[in-house]
Amino acid sequence: MGATASHLGKDLLSEYQELTFLTKQEILLAHKRFTELLSREDKNLPDPRAPTEAILTLPELKSNPFRERIVRVFSTSESRDGLTFEDFLDLLSAFSDSATLEIKSHYAFRIFDFDDDGTLDENDLEKLVNCLTGETEETRLTPDEMKQLISNILEESDIDKDGTVNLSEFQHVISRSPDFVSSFKIVL
Amino acid sequence: MNSQLQRQGSATAVQGTGYTSDQGSPRLRRVTSSRSDQNGPQFNWRPASAAQEDAGQEAAVPPKDLRALPMPMALKRAISQVQQMQVPVLSSFQSWKRSKAKSLSRARKSIGGFLHYITLWRRSLNKIGGNFGDGVQSYFLFLRFLVVLNFLSSMLIIGFVLIPSIVFRSVASDSVNMTDNGTAECRQYDHKPDPLVRYFSYFLDLLSGTGFMEYTYLFYGYYRNTMVAESDFSYNIPLAYLFTAVFYFAFCLICITARAGTAVRVAVATGGGATGSYSRIVFTGWDFGCLSDRATKLKQKNLHYQLQVDLEEERIKNEAASLTLRRKVLLYSSRILLSLVAFGLIIAAFYGIYQATTFSQRKVKETGVLGLFYEYLPSIVITVGNFVVPVLCDQIALLERYNPSITVIVALLRSVFLRMVSLGVLLFTLWSQITCFEGVSEECALCHYNYKSYPCWETRVGQEMYKLTLFDLLITLAMLVLVEFPRRMVVDNSSNKLIQFVGRQEFLVPVNVLGLVYGQTVVWTGALFCPLLPLINTLKFVIVFYAKKITLFSNCRPAAKTFRSTKSKVFFLLVLLFGWSLALVALIYSIAEIHPSMSCGPFRSLASMWTIVPESFYSLSFTTQDFLYFIGSQRFSIPLFLFFSVVMCYFIALASVYGKSVDLLKAQLKLEARDKQFLVKQIEELSRTLGVAK
Repeated sequence: MGATASHLGKDLLSEYQELTFLTKQEILLAHKRFTELLSREDKNLPDPRAPTEAILTLPELKSNPFRERIVRVFSTSESRDGLTFEDFLDLLSAFSDSATLEIKSHYAFRIFDFDDDGTLDENDLEKLVNCLTGETEETRLTPDEMKQLISNILEESDIDKDGTVNLSEFQHVISRSPDFVSSFKIVL
Repeated sequence: MNSQLQRQGSATAVQGTGYTSDQGSPRLRRVTSSRSDQNGPQFNWRPASAAQEDAGQEAAVPPKDLRALPMPMALKRAISQVQQMQVPVLSSFQSWKRSKAKSLSRARKSIGGFLHYITLWRRSLNKIGGNFGDGVQSYFLFLRFLVVLNFLSSMLIIGFVLIPSIVFRSVASDSVNMTDNGTAECRQYDHKPDPLVRYFSYFLDLLSGTGFMEYTYLFYGYYRNTMVAESDFSYNIPLAYLFTAVFYFAFCLICITARAGTAVRVAVATGGGATGSYSRIVFTGWDFGCLSDRATKLKQKNLHYQLQVDLEEERIKNEAASLTLRRKVLLYSSRILLSLVAFGLIIAAFYGIYQATTFSQRKVKETGVLGLFYEYLPSIVITVGNFVVPVLCDQIALLERYNPSITVIVALLRSVFLRMVSLGVLLFTLWSQITCFEGVSEECALCHYNYKSYPCWETRVGQEMYKLTLFDLLITLAMLVLVEFPRRMVVDNSSNKLIQFVGRQEFLVPVNVLGLVYGQTVVWTGALFCPLLPLINTLKFVIVFYAKKITLFSNCRPAAKTFRSTKSKVFFLLVLLFGWSLALVALIYSIAEIHPSMSCGPFRSLASMWTIVPESFYSLSFTTQDFLYFIGSQRFSIPLFLFFSVVMCYFIALASVYGKSVDLLKAQLKLEARDKQFLVKQIEELSRTLGVAK
């Protein structure tokens, strides 16, 4: 691979600069933070994979209600558990300042798709709203409000009236919101 | 069997229409082979190279931007390797162009990295945004913009006015002789401070700009009208002073419009976004930059509140549509009445400011603390008005029972009107005192201005603006120490139900932004008369940044209601432009109409500040004069005007065409969705008939 866990080779660094939206300083900082997450035995492996529990201790992800979904979406392992350094860079690239709207909306869609079936149906929307308002009893919406809200959402964004929101409809909603690019951002 | 087929059909349809990939040439929609373990929407990364291979036009395809592909790194690396292996046949010109583009992008990346490193207060702003949300962060971003703007403009003024004045003060003396036509009294200006002063009067002088501070580079009165004219170098200080002031205004205008341009472009492109608000809140409402549990809980509470309020408003709207005519008439008449009451309050505040200013100008000879109080009386009245009247207007707005969003806008507009026009009233009062209402009284007959009370009126105006700026800063710091910290301590240490209900201070963004705009407008108005005021303002805004940051993190709780950040950015810049135009009116009037003081300043021998320009014009060489005459003549200006009209028509036509194509594409999207539904239904029927047939 050309890199040990403690040091990034220069050609690898420039390759990462080509393939992600991150600057050189950001990639080096990400490398430093990633190696802190690894256990001692893992550090000597050629392509170490940080376990999900370690990644969820990062302060930028610790209090995010979507943290497990984020790790699942960006993980390339079979069991969708744990991130390699390249997965981590993909994550930071999608959440970076200079990433395009298309890539952010693509990953936002995948994060919100709780059952990974390619569309946002009513269960996904309900889980999404619960994440947004908080899981405790007093912060949830009442069942009536939830039903009204979901029917309003589907009425506004489901253009083809199939009862689900697919990626293009999602991107259509996102494109009309100017705040999305600045709020879909995680900076180390 | 039927359901599986249906699911496969819909899955294929998803793959077919799911990703239209990035913008650019239309891609071949190829349905990827359906995999049993589909983990999400598929991305068709195979570019249109298959179609173009036949045409052999690979040379024209630029390398795809791999960063924008939503794939894991391993796949992106594979694609880049494939791309690199496809060595395209390029002409030497194209390969040169491509290598230049690559080095340019590399240079841009390194510059971006450098700028990112030196950006002022980047870490603080990130921390503020992560803990208090976007709305509060927009206030601090606005403050940073103003600091940079003031710093650059003060560099401009120092470079073109202050340094030449310092250099030439020792070299040349006043080079213009004034004709003595009975105006000797006008030229008397006693600026030497009283030699026997008590020690604390230095402090009073610092606060009010009088005494030892009056005859310094700080104010207009100290500058001379030296016109250095050596063999190969000439520098006309009055002309430089005037042009620097004008250019300072133009520079600020350019910066503000450049900054507003990006925000307005985004706002226009997204079309305001009134429709689709529920899906927008749910899909784009979450701020992924929240850095702590407290911020997350706060954001969740915000969203919960917002959703509840919107659902509630919808229910109320459905009810209100059925209001009787009588209740509607009642509502509208009460709204008109309350608007008149608010307007009346504002007029009362203006009258108070006028009285305070005239009183203060009359009592200008007092010394000591009482004198200081009289000097600061206009500032005090303005500040009290700016506190009391908006609070009353807020209560009035609540009674008017508008939509919540409209209430915020109405209250903001009233506050803006109050603050800006109160400054205008102050200026008007000063002007009426200086010129005695266009010279009707005999005090102004001799020198065209009131030379008895204002031997050097520009310095006096500059002092007023200086006092306003300083007073604003002192009030901010006093509020911090005397109101916000004690409030936090009371709330934290008492368990009284009422106190807990009132709670900690909320950081109100609109009020604070209006304070900044007001301060900047004062500086713009005063810059002609107090050239170092932008520099003082830079320091003031830096102090305000740190003070507000301290109070934010120690004393404030974040607001329950969110503040839309993009619309507000445009609004802040529009209000700033309004303040700028107010200052511009003052500048134009001062330059063109009022007679400069004959006893001080760079324009002391002229009838108005503007006349230095025609006078210097005649000292230019004849070719330059002819050239400038030509530019101003009709032969040049009318074709120029026609050309600009044509360009504007072109852009208007372009904009309307883009709007129409956007509408067409939206309609096409809906049509395709209907086609998809039709096909899905056909598949269903087909599978049903097949199933029946079996």
